[in-house]
Amino acid sequence: MTTKLRSGFWRQSLLIAGLFAIALLALNFLIFDTGIVAVVLLSGFYQGMLFFLVAAGMSIVFGLLDVLNLAQGSFFMLGAYVGFAIYNALPEGTPITVRFVAALVGAVVFGGVLGAGVEIALLRPLYVRPIFQIVLTFGLATAITELVRGIYGPSGLVPVEPPAALNTTIAVMRGQFETYRLFIIAVGLVLMIGISLLLQRTRLGIIIRAGVQDSQMVEALGINVRRVFTLVFALGTAVAALGGMTAAPFLGAYPAMGEQFLLTAIIVIVIGGMSSFEGTAIAALLVGLTRATVEQISLQYLNTPILASISILVFMVVVLLVRPTGLFGREA
Amino acid sequence: MTTSLLAKRSGGRLALLLALALLLIPYLHALATGQPETGSAGLAALHSRAESVYCAKGSTPTGTILLVETLLIAVATLLARGWKTHGNPLQEGLARHGPYLFVFLLLTTIPFLLAWRTGSSACTRGKAFFWESVFIDVFILAILAISYNLLFGFAGIVSFGHAAFFGMGAYTVGLLMKHLAFPWVAAVIVALLVGVVIALIKGVVGLRIRGLYFALFTLAFAEVFFLLAGNRILVDITGAEDGFTFAVPDFLNMTKNRLFFYYLTLVLMALAFWLVRRLMGSPTGQVLRALRDNEERARMLGYNTFTFKLIALVLAGILATGAGVLRGIALKGASPNVLGVGFTFDPLLATIIGGIGTFSGPVLGVFILRLVEQMLRDTVLTLGSVQIDIGERWALILGVIFIIIVLAFPKGIVGTLQEQYRRRKGG
Amino acid sequence: MSELLEVRNIHTYIGQFHILQNVSFDVPAQSITVLLGRNGAGKTTTLRTIMGLTPASAGVIRLNGIEIQNRRPYEIAQMGIGFVPDYRAVFRQLTVEENLRLAERKPGDLQRKLGFIFQIFPDLERLYHWPGGQLSGGQQQMLAVARALVPDNHLLLIDEPSEGLAPVIVEQMMEAIRQLSDQTTVLLVEQNFHVASHLADRYVIIEDGRSVHHGQMADLVADRGLITRYLAAA
Repeated sequence: MTTKLRSGFWRQSLLIAGLFAIALLALNFLIFDTGIVAVVLLSGFYQGMLFFLVAAGMSIVFGLLDVLNLAQGSFFMLGAYVGFAIYNALPEGTPITVRFVAALVGAVVFGGVLGAGVEIALLRPLYVRPIFQIVLTFGLATAITELVRGIYGPSGLVPVEPPAALNTTIAVMRGQFETYRLFIIAVGLVLMIGISLLLQRTRLGIIIRAGVQDSQMVEALGINVRRVFTLVFALGTAVAALGGMTAAPFLGAYPAMGEQFLLTAIIVIVIGGMSSFEGTAIAALLVGLTRATVEQISLQYLNTPILASISILVFMVVVLLVRPTGLFGREA
Repeated sequence: MTTSLLAKRSGGRLALLLALALLLIPYLHALATGQPETGSAGLAALHSRAESVYCAKGSTPTGTILLVETLLIAVATLLARGWKTHGNPLQEGLARHGPYLFVFLLLTTIPFLLAWRTGSSACTRGKAFFWESVFIDVFILAILAISYNLLFGFAGIVSFGHAAFFGMGAYTVGLLMKHLAFPWVAAVIVALLVGVVIALIKGVVGLRIRGLYFALFTLAFAEVFFLLAGNRILVDITGAEDGFTFAVPDFLNMTKNRLFFYYLTLVLMALAFWLVRRLMGSPTGQVLRALRDNEERARMLGYNTFTFKLIALVLAGILATGAGVLRGIALKGASPNVLGVGFTFDPLLATIIGGIGTFSGPVLGVFILRLVEQMLRDTVLTLGSVQIDIGERWALILGVIFIIIVLAFPKGIVGTLQEQYRRRKGG
Repeated sequence: MSELLEVRNIHTYIGQFHILQNVSFDVPAQSITVLLGRNGAGKTTTLRTIMGLTPASAGVIRLNGIEIQNRRPYEIAQMGIGFVPDYRAVFRQLTVEENLRLAERKPGDLQRKLGFIFQIFPDLERLYHWPGGQLSGGQQQMLAVARALVPDNHLLLIDEPSEGLAPVIVEQMMEAIRQLSDQTTVLLVEQNFHVASHLADRYVIIEDGRSVHHGQMADLVADRGLITRYLAAA
């Protein structure tokens, strides 16, 4: 019985998401030229992918560990800083491509190792007091931000130069679009597909999907769930750090970027339904598109960039009113 | 039974009367012995008589009287606690309320103690004057922490957006007085109403969605205000990221009337403390506690949990907004940082350091945090070759302290002490 | 018969409630032992304590002579204990195959056992690629038991296998348990005395968190007095 309901619930969720996307598109075509629509769409996808990179780990971690990692934005920011440090530390004469790739790899490794450390040292003692875990990650976010501010100063670093092929623009219809944004979209897509393959096709994926429902039973089947917790947490923070370094040649690195992306990521996972991976991916893109559309509207007509931030908050509130557990959330 | 209950009640009233009497004595003494300022008349002349006494530099009779009273109360309280004759209202009152009376009197004495120790005046620029402003800041933040603890510690509602109340309090009162020329009373009332409205919106929209969703919802909610306050489109009204300043009536002007402002915030803090204590002792408070411990069970017992949570949220909202109003008036201005995450983090940190779900914990937490910060502000710690400028790294140090306390002392200072006291008594 | 599982004087708290207050019994190898007792006596907690899910605060539990009471649940499982909880913890999002695969302890476990599993639960073959959430209650119970059969377990802890099932399914489940008990030892919690008396060789009665009686099932069936005293509905 419940399963029949569930699949109905799912179809309904998809329908809502789809209708919303279509409505956004229609709005775009109504008010903008086609050339601009293309730019808005690409910009929406690029923003959505960045949100996805922060939110993906949060959502999976929340599903499995029941921990909402409010320090995820800080890992995103740290990824950018660590990447920059590696990029700039390589000896003179190193080709830009090598620097860039090394920065990406370094960010991933750093994010993963630090994430594993945080899970083992800080979160593990607190599984008996769940609310304190969230409170702790909130404090951790503050500490990390202040640490970075202390080391690098409050104002942030100048963006590093990406490889030449990614550092140019191409004409899309009548608009201009930076190739670097396409790179961000590609990175996001690869991870989206990669993570869903991991979840659907591998033993780790089976464990994660089972653990979301009942991690105690998974442990009773002979699986060291705590080790899986650590691994999943580390994967989540590694992806966030990769996201930070991916965004950095575009946005630079500054202490407040963590907080900014955290807020949007929270909105994304709340809309997506907290622990649903598909929900998070879809919500990230919808939020990106909404932001891009409203940004364009305000650029063209109102000249107030703040509307974009407010629009996604309104989006979230509306979703919560219609679906108190988010679009793809577990039924309450 | 009945007599001791009666004694308890009238004991509370007696303690309050005693407090008022003890506070009047030094003022009356000052009135009697002071010299009026030349050229003043009527009430102003009378008041200037008193001022001439307690505003003197260094040691003042007012300070001496207050200090003696404080010590007397301390002794009397200890005696009242030692004697076990039931039914004497004064003894009951002192035994129960004496410690609070003592702390209150001590805080009343502090400006004069400072003036005495630093050889400055409690009313004009100088060291005592400066430290009074630190304490004013502490009192305001203590109200915010009391409000946070009401939600988090007693009702079990986690909010990451408490700054919305605080900041909107400061902004509303300032904007109304600056742009619409509201008299201060009206501006304060409207600001508190804004707090109520925010609480109702948060409650009606947010409390339907449970637990974490609510916490996230509040975080996002506060961010909207933060973004709006710092935005350039509103620059003519709010001054965008620089904020704005506004004029306040003389008697509320902290630069001119600091000692008065000190007592005003102290009394308001005491009121907030008393209010939450009363609330948690009432049937409503019992339900809130039950809610926090097991919402499902409270619901099965037939309580409308939504209503009770809404009550807690609105009360906490009023207190936090009130703290923001005070902050706005104290600084005669507001800037977006009053809406920032910091003013959610600070009360959370104070509550956790002091002790979640204890009455005095959050207040103690704020005192420790702010006073230690003030004392260490210019200290540079040298560890081998590493130099740590404590003032500059304060936020980082706080973050680390916070993590350690959450991990190692989840009950905070007051909670841990209470537990040890209980264990010693039990064992 | 040697003792596969020895439970000695265990005490378990859940929160501040003292649920098990001295439980002791043995499970001989190659037997079916059933825990009997009224609702809330502590039978489920006993199984969960053996599994390490609600660890004992005092007492000793030995599996094949090795103490396990301080080990984590996954270690206990790896030592050869399979657990079938009373709430049919079938993973709803996972297919039947994935549910079974999850229980593998080394690659190939499932391949080796699949024939046996399909033999005792023929339904599962047909439902192999269905999501667990779409199975009926009886099918979920079968899957939960089958999952415990995937690795080489010495001992199966099965909690209320007949609860909430139609009589036909109960018969099927009893037959299945009888078949699997040829290969492994079983410790059962069962409220249905008819089921318990037909399946088990030995019984342990738990009352108010204490083990109060144990012996051969055949003796218990013959002893009306004992049954009335401990098992009749209060």
